[in-house]
Amino acid sequence: MNKRFPATALAAALALSLAACGSASSSTSNSGSGDSATIKIALIPPTTGALAQFGTDAVKGWQIAVDEVNAKGGIDGHKVELLKKGTDGDTATTLRVAKEAVAKEGAGFIGAVMTSPEHAALNAQLQGLGALSFNALGKDDALVGDQCAANAFHIVQTNSMDINALAGSIGSMPGNKWAIVAVDYATGHSAAKEFTSAAKAAGKQVVSTQFAPLNTTDFGSYITKVKSSGADAVFAVEYGADGIAFVKQANQFNLTKSLKTVLGFNMVSEPLFPALGASIQGFYNNVGYDVAGDNTLNKTFVSDYTKKYGSAPYYVPADNYVAAETLFAGIDKADSIDPEKVRDALDGLTFDSIVGSVTMRADDHQLLRPSYLGQVVKGDGGDAFKIVATAQPDKTTPQAESACSF
Amino acid sequence: MTATTLPEVSQSNAEVPAGRRSRRGLVFGLTVAVVVAAVGYAVPYVIKDTYTMSLAVEAALLGLLALGIGFLARHLGLISLGHTSFFGGAAYAVGVGVNHYGWSMTQSFAFGVLVGTALSLVMGVLVVRASGMGFLMLTLALSQALYQLCVQTSFRPLTGAYDGLLISFRPDDTFAGVNASDLQNPGLFWPIVWIVLIVCVVAVWLLGRSPFGTILEGVRENEERMRFSNYNTFRPRLAAFVLSGLVASLGGALFALNGAYVSPDILGFSRAGDSLIAAMVGGLGSLIGPLLGTGLYVWGEAHLNTGGNLHLYTGIALIVVLVFLPGGVTGTLQRIWRRLRKERPGMGGRR
Amino acid sequence: MNAAQVLNGIALGSLLMVLSSGLAMIYGLRGVTNFAHGALYMSGAYIAYSVSLHVSFWLALVVVPVALALIGVVLELVFFRPLQNRSHIELGLVTFGLALIAERVVVLIWGEKTLSVDPPPGLRGTTSLFGVEYPTFRLAIIVAAVVMAVALVTWLRRTRTGLYIRAASQDLETAGIMGIDVNRISLIVVSLGAALAGLAGALAAPYVSLDPGMGDTFLIIVLIVVVVGGVGSIAGAMISGMALGIIQTLTTVWSPSVAVVVPYVALVVVLLWRPQGLAGRRV
Repeated sequence: MNKRFPATALAAALALSLAACGSASSSTSNSGSGDSATIKIALIPPTTGALAQFGTDAVKGWQIAVDEVNAKGGIDGHKVELLKKGTDGDTATTLRVAKEAVAKEGAGFIGAVMTSPEHAALNAQLQGLGALSFNALGKDDALVGDQCAANAFHIVQTNSMDINALAGSIGSMPGNKWAIVAVDYATGHSAAKEFTSAAKAAGKQVVSTQFAPLNTTDFGSYITKVKSSGADAVFAVEYGADGIAFVKQANQFNLTKSLKTVLGFNMVSEPLFPALGASIQGFYNNVGYDVAGDNTLNKTFVSDYTKKYGSAPYYVPADNYVAAETLFAGIDKADSIDPEKVRDALDGLTFDSIVGSVTMRADDHQLLRPSYLGQVVKGDGGDAFKIVATAQPDKTTPQAESACSF
Repeated sequence: MTATTLPEVSQSNAEVPAGRRSRRGLVFGLTVAVVVAAVGYAVPYVIKDTYTMSLAVEAALLGLLALGIGFLARHLGLISLGHTSFFGGAAYAVGVGVNHYGWSMTQSFAFGVLVGTALSLVMGVLVVRASGMGFLMLTLALSQALYQLCVQTSFRPLTGAYDGLLISFRPDDTFAGVNASDLQNPGLFWPIVWIVLIVCVVAVWLLGRSPFGTILEGVRENEERMRFSNYNTFRPRLAAFVLSGLVASLGGALFALNGAYVSPDILGFSRAGDSLIAAMVGGLGSLIGPLLGTGLYVWGEAHLNTGGNLHLYTGIALIVVLVFLPGGVTGTLQRIWRRLRKERPGMGGRR
Repeated sequence: MNAAQVLNGIALGSLLMVLSSGLAMIYGLRGVTNFAHGALYMSGAYIAYSVSLHVSFWLALVVVPVALALIGVVLELVFFRPLQNRSHIELGLVTFGLALIAERVVVLIWGEKTLSVDPPPGLRGTTSLFGVEYPTFRLAIIVAAVVMAVALVTWLRRTRTGLYIRAASQDLETAGIMGIDVNRISLIVVSLGAALAGLAGALAAPYVSLDPGMGDTFLIIVLIVVVVGGVGSIAGAMISGMALGIIQTLTTVWSPSVAVVVPYVALVVVLLWRPQGLAGRRV
């Protein structure tokens, strides 16, 4: 009664004023794509946890591409602006940040989102947002399968593409009893499943399969289980800092010495070499990007990146750079910065990139590009990847998955 | 003042003793509800911006969660960290209904609310005999157990484990007259969640004024004496717990319909803490306190979260409220209001 | 089920033991369920990281407990003592708020990336034990924890301060009436409890990497351990901690889904059927 009244009145007043604040600040922004001449790209990398380093490097890839393009006066006269956001990896946060960037700041394009679950949720919203997403790290096959979206473009290779690339080499890797330790996400599960079939086809045996949640820091139980399974080779799908923890602890348990082969999947990459130490020499890992790739665009990219950031690029910034190349190629072809027109222009588009000539497949929006298998070898300036096998997209992804329909 | 709960909770109804709640108050309250409902309907026409509208929808959905927490705290003096499991459980159930069983949105919504309420029944049976810190720990433990179960690999086909559950609604399916893709548009979803919120607020308010509410107060103040007076204290407590769980489940089921995606984080420790803090900062002693607190929380999440600092502010807000401003925002305002009224000459003062 | 898995369980149990002893002391004396205990553990780990990086890990093992003891003093003087007449829930929630703030401050200072600390040279390798090869550092953790446990229990049983602490934990009012300076004892207990949490963090740093979520990971388990172990019983908490570490690790080998709910089931069972805990003496 009397005590409810002021509370009610106050609540109503507060709510209305907050809403007024909200709508007032938004009325100054426009919806972005049509009237503004700037191309706005929202980058939403992870800023915390095991993948934080990758988040920073993803942004670097975009930055180099944008600096290059702006130095030339923009694309068809449109300058490019990066809206650098961040997320803690919780999909709800990523979606909120994306919605805000699109609705309030006029971003027409989204990049640097990292994990497959975030992409799955984002894909579902893209139509409603009217924006395009460029996925340069979420490798789960479902993202070009039943979770595909017309507004989403898959720049990085999918897990099955990579596994198909290394399938042929499994037979020649020493070790017959394989243990799998993978991250407990859809990507980890699909990688494990595909590896198992490829290994069986090569005549190998899979004796143990385990999944560890992302941000696992204690791999003791997993390692002990691998040891007691009698495995002599390991297929490990652990990302970022989890990969570092896994490798270090495997050394501490003397597991590494007892294995004939360690095949990392998205685990071992150049920036982690110092942290991983000399024990990883001889490790195999899928390589999505060959830093020594012999084409002009790549050489320019590598030298610009090394000059600006002090170290050579690896697959994360490189794939994000390719994402930028894809977007710019689409804008160029469409002769417009309207997301819908860019989307249509990208279907079937072939263009030159730092990874060679690539094509954006219209059926599932997968970028067709080669995949590699590398081995860590001791080089002059430290450890480096030696490419031991290459596979072209006609082998790794001969056709789009039927589950994908726009 | 019971030593096992917060002081403002005990004081919340001290001003208006049970017998004096008049018909005038009832009519006044219902009129306010109708007016507020009507005003709320107009909100999407005032706020054209989708982003702000989505914040409003989020606040309303989480408001249902906070309303449940607040109801329990206000009438039984029990502070719960477990209500996110009903909210999240209902959301997951909606997803399971659509994805796994192929049901329509309306059927899945009903299923979601049912599952959430059933969870609250199960949890309630285990926890309502406890009070104070024991109750808090139990609700926390049980809700975290549910979270752990949800992310288990063995449940992956059902819940999506760590990836969360992407809900694929049939495009031609409708819920309350709105079709699947429009449900994700906050402006079009708003009327649904607003009506549900107002109805729940009124229902909770009426329950508080009813004889049931009086029994709950008696249990809160002195459980032993109630038992000696031949009242079965277990059943009213369980009923109150389940009702608060029902309200939270409504929020969760609607949340799933609107977002089409359920992440396991919704069942996690962090969210449970946030929902409680939001309700407390708003004020557990009043009906709308938790709603106000949730509004502040959503606003803070959107505007103060630069660099992920939201929890810094919620932590500070919690301590400030506990130490200096018991009763949260609404409690403090009520105190100021009362002091102002007392100072007016000729006002005969309340005791 | 081999020796390595058992050792894994004991290593985890050792960490839990150190953490829960600190929490049990604070809980027993002040009646506060210290939700900030995870944040104290995290602070200890991050401080250990910095000290290890610039000087050495051994120095960190000395610096961290001291630093955390000082934080404990602040906790006692600024929060627990002035608010000691509030209800237990209010105090618990205050520590909850402190945990949120502290965890954010740590991340603001040290950054959000996962950090790793190498074990000190000398403890870096592998030891052969019971027919398995086990990381030397984890064995060191076990040894350190057991030494600490024995030292703590001996100190509580043999010294006068220990006697006062046990008395005050059993019945605060009577202890005060009997002439024990409750405020001084509280100060000792809270700073010691915080120091133990910090020590656990320092020991854990080379074992589990440092990440912003590390406080929360352990918090609920440690709270459960203390409640299960029993109000006011430090030995009970330590034994429950070790037991839970072993049980959970071994159960994970058999069935991960069951293993994760073991602590929660234990808590529910204890709170409903024996609220004073397995070894507790009063409700």
